[in-house]
Amino acid sequence: MRLPLLCLALACCGGEPRAERPIKFLHTFNPRETELFNTTIAERGLHVDASLVPFARGHQVIEELLRGGHNCPDLIRIDATWLPGLVASKLIIEPPAELALGWAAIAKDLAVVDSKMWALPQSIDGLVVVRLAGTPAPATPAVADLVAAAKASELPHPLGVRVDGYWFVPWLRGEGVDLAPAALDERAVHALRDFAALFGGLAATPPAAGSEAPDELRRWTGHELAYWVTGPWQLADLRDRDQIEVSALAHAPRGGQLLVVPACAAQPSEGWRLAKELTSEQVSLIFSDAFATVPTLAAAQAHATPLVQRMLAALGSAEPLPRTVVTPLLFDDLNPAVAAVVAGDATPEEAIAGVQRGWHRLVSR
Amino acid sequence: MTKRARGSLRWRVLLVLALAAIVPTIVVGVLAISRARHDVEDEVQRGALAHIRALGAALDGTLQDARRTVELAASQWADAAGDAKSTQLLARRLRRDVPIVEQLSILDPDGHLVYGDPVPAGVDIGSHSFGGYIGDAVFERGNPAIHMVVQARGRTGELMGVFVATLDLAFVHDVIAAARLGPGAEVLVVDGVGMPVASSNPTLAPGSRAGDPVVERALASTVEGTLSQAGWVSAYRNLSSYQSLRGVRWAIIHRQPEAEAYALARRTTRDTIVIGAAALALALALGAFFATRLTRPLEDLARRADAIAAGQIPDEPPVEGPGEIGTLAHSVDEMAKRIAERAELASALARGDRLASVGVMSAQVAHEINNPLTTVLGYAKLLLEDKPEGHPDRNALELIADEAERMKKIIGSLLEYARAPRPSEPAIGTGAAAGSSQPAQVLRHVAALVAPQLKKARATLATEVTADRPIAIEPSALQQVLVNLVQNAAQAFTAGGAIAMSAKPAPGGIATVITVSDDGPGIPVGARTKVFDPFYTTKAPGTGTGLGLAVCKHLVATAGGTIEVGDGPNGRGVEFRVVIPNIA
Repeated sequence: MRLPLLCLALACCGGEPRAERPIKFLHTFNPRETELFNTTIAERGLHVDASLVPFARGHQVIEELLRGGHNCPDLIRIDATWLPGLVASKLIIEPPAELALGWAAIAKDLAVVDSKMWALPQSIDGLVVVRLAGTPAPATPAVADLVAAAKASELPHPLGVRVDGYWFVPWLRGEGVDLAPAALDERAVHALRDFAALFGGLAATPPAAGSEAPDELRRWTGHELAYWVTGPWQLADLRDRDQIEVSALAHAPRGGQLLVVPACAAQPSEGWRLAKELTSEQVSLIFSDAFATVPTLAAAQAHATPLVQRMLAALGSAEPLPRTVVTPLLFDDLNPAVAAVVAGDATPEEAIAGVQRGWHRLVSR
Repeated sequence: MTKRARGSLRWRVLLVLALAAIVPTIVVGVLAISRARHDVEDEVQRGALAHIRALGAALDGTLQDARRTVELAASQWADAAGDAKSTQLLARRLRRDVPIVEQLSILDPDGHLVYGDPVPAGVDIGSHSFGGYIGDAVFERGNPAIHMVVQARGRTGELMGVFVATLDLAFVHDVIAAARLGPGAEVLVVDGVGMPVASSNPTLAPGSRAGDPVVERALASTVEGTLSQAGWVSAYRNLSSYQSLRGVRWAIIHRQPEAEAYALARRTTRDTIVIGAAALALALALGAFFATRLTRPLEDLARRADAIAAGQIPDEPPVEGPGEIGTLAHSVDEMAKRIAERAELASALARGDRLASVGVMSAQVAHEINNPLTTVLGYAKLLLEDKPEGHPDRNALELIADEAERMKKIIGSLLEYARAPRPSEPAIGTGAAAGSSQPAQVLRHVAALVAPQLKKARATLATEVTADRPIAIEPSALQQVLVNLVQNAAQAFTAGGAIAMSAKPAPGGIATVITVSDDGPGIPVGARTKVFDPFYTTKAPGTGTGLGLAVCKHLVATAGGTIEVGDGPNGRGVEFRVVIPNIA
């Protein structure tokens, strides 16, 4: 008789009760990350109903979902640039105060909007310059010194740069122009001219749209690149990680991935519990070891691999993108403009003028 | 089954054979079944995945073509900045080139409609999506459809407008319907919230499939996978991995009842079990057959050994067997023969000692008694001659003389038994070499000798002689033996009888068999081993000396022959069988 009573007492009073319902998690992991996530979660006995939302449509799908309130997830993984929009729309809630501790400063900065922390940072990313050990480092992080170092190389196309607005940001900022609708002027034209001039010379002629990542990886593996402007997301596929040196790139964009709990979440506490688990030192190091992602907890960063440590140091001097609602939308106009100039379809002046009009329209809307 | 039966060699051999057959059969069978099941499962899953990959690729190819065509049209339209007429022409071409375009809207950069139908509610015209996207499935007009949004950017990359095309997804159903599915299999395409976009199952109930484990697994997966649950084998693929569908959260699922999917494995299992059982039964039957064949000689041998151990000579023919068993049987028989010989030798030695003692004693007694007895007999006869007929002492004297005569006869027999063989007597040895006899002559002479006695006993004597070779025995000795045997037979009759005497060649022609048989009362089986012992007699006291057969055996044995006693012809009476080697 005593045993059933004891069991009943333990069931009523013992520990934190396990959630009856699964934690609904909407994420933007790529397939390999998803695989590791599923394995990691299963090993920890968490009951998670995870759904994949492709990154390309993540912002749109998430906003639609949260506005509709139907089938609302308990936790969402988002790009840091999406956070201001979600905050402005009051679609997410603040994390409990006890979860605001222990983060590295640049990580916590990603999760702060209007001086309030709205998310738990899951990883830090951004652009850095990657080179093999033995390749001379650029004299300074400045874009001009990177170009000068590339020119000193004997390789035909030693510089790895992508035809993309995100990669254009260091050149734009190097001219003193930030990513803002009102700031585009002759300096932006000059920056775009310099950037476009790289291709076909220091940088190879760009491949077909959509195949940039595998093309860059092939060229790096084939030792066709001396300096590769890229981010942590591409280092996961490299086998010679121990031979990789990382340099900072002045004015490079810095961002990251965040975990937010929607205001419509049915189980917000469970959402934060999963977020805490995913950003824990142990789990973040698992991801860091596998994909060279940069952890966000200071304690985890201290135990990361040397490559990640070097990546973290380089990203320390990068600059976050503007924390505005329209920032992620700016690239819708910037990307095709950069591509048009590189392809020779438009002059830098024409392209920048078009971007200017697009951004104004965006702001006015 | 008794404990003895279980412990028998046959049972143990059968057990070993059964184990040798059953264990490998079961192990191989289980391995074969397991391997076949595993292979079939792999094959089924690979096949299902290949199927949905092909279906997904077909779906992707159609959407890819549609997207590229719309993008190209949008790009042309943006660069041309054409008037209404050229826009209409472009739209017509687009609808012709992409038949699945159900509805087309062209908007200016500010979102105002330039051409076509009003933009369906809820369609985002391009923000947050890197310039374009394929949306989730919608079910507004019965058939599922999707909205494709393509930003029309001009030569400089500037946004000039937005194309919104609604694509009819009926072709997905057509693709699935054209697929050749296995028995009971069905294919289902669901959107990101589990709503069926198309299904091969016409009876599929409408409504979201959210909550279905396979659907949830498919939507959460990275690329593809399989799941066996609740009697169904499912393979799924997340279509977001396809280039044209990036941004679309679709999944394609193939599922089939396990009973159908693994029918081949089940048939293989059944066939393996049937064939295995048949092979096992055959192996056991053959095992039992060969075990019986193998152990039967051993069992016979064991019985034979038991009989030998019990002192019996088995009646059955020697055990025959292959290889070691035959050798063993031969050895056992040899051993039995040696044991019998040794026993016979021991018995003969014992009898020989006894007979030797009797012989010595007889010689001494004969020597000591014969002379006084001769005196007694002589004086009795002298006194008889002096007594006239009718004298009162005459009867007593005659009795003394008769008894003395009988005593002399006994002594004579004793001396005969003890003395060395005598040279043959010329009377019956005519035509034969010294130490040899002609059986025909001896038998004829014996018949003549015993005729008076036979007449007195009302007995008949029949002789049959087919042996014509001389035999290695003194004629007198053979005559004494046969006379003794015939007299014994005649004395055994109480009211007459038939006696037969024959001499025939023994098988192989190296000896002659002489038999004396009668149809009298016979000799009890228990007494037959003693009849050749000295002083053993079955006659009434005072009528036999018990030395006749002992002398016969002595004479025959001295000649190198044998004498045996057995049942008479037809199981009546008695038959003495004398075997004497022929003269080479």
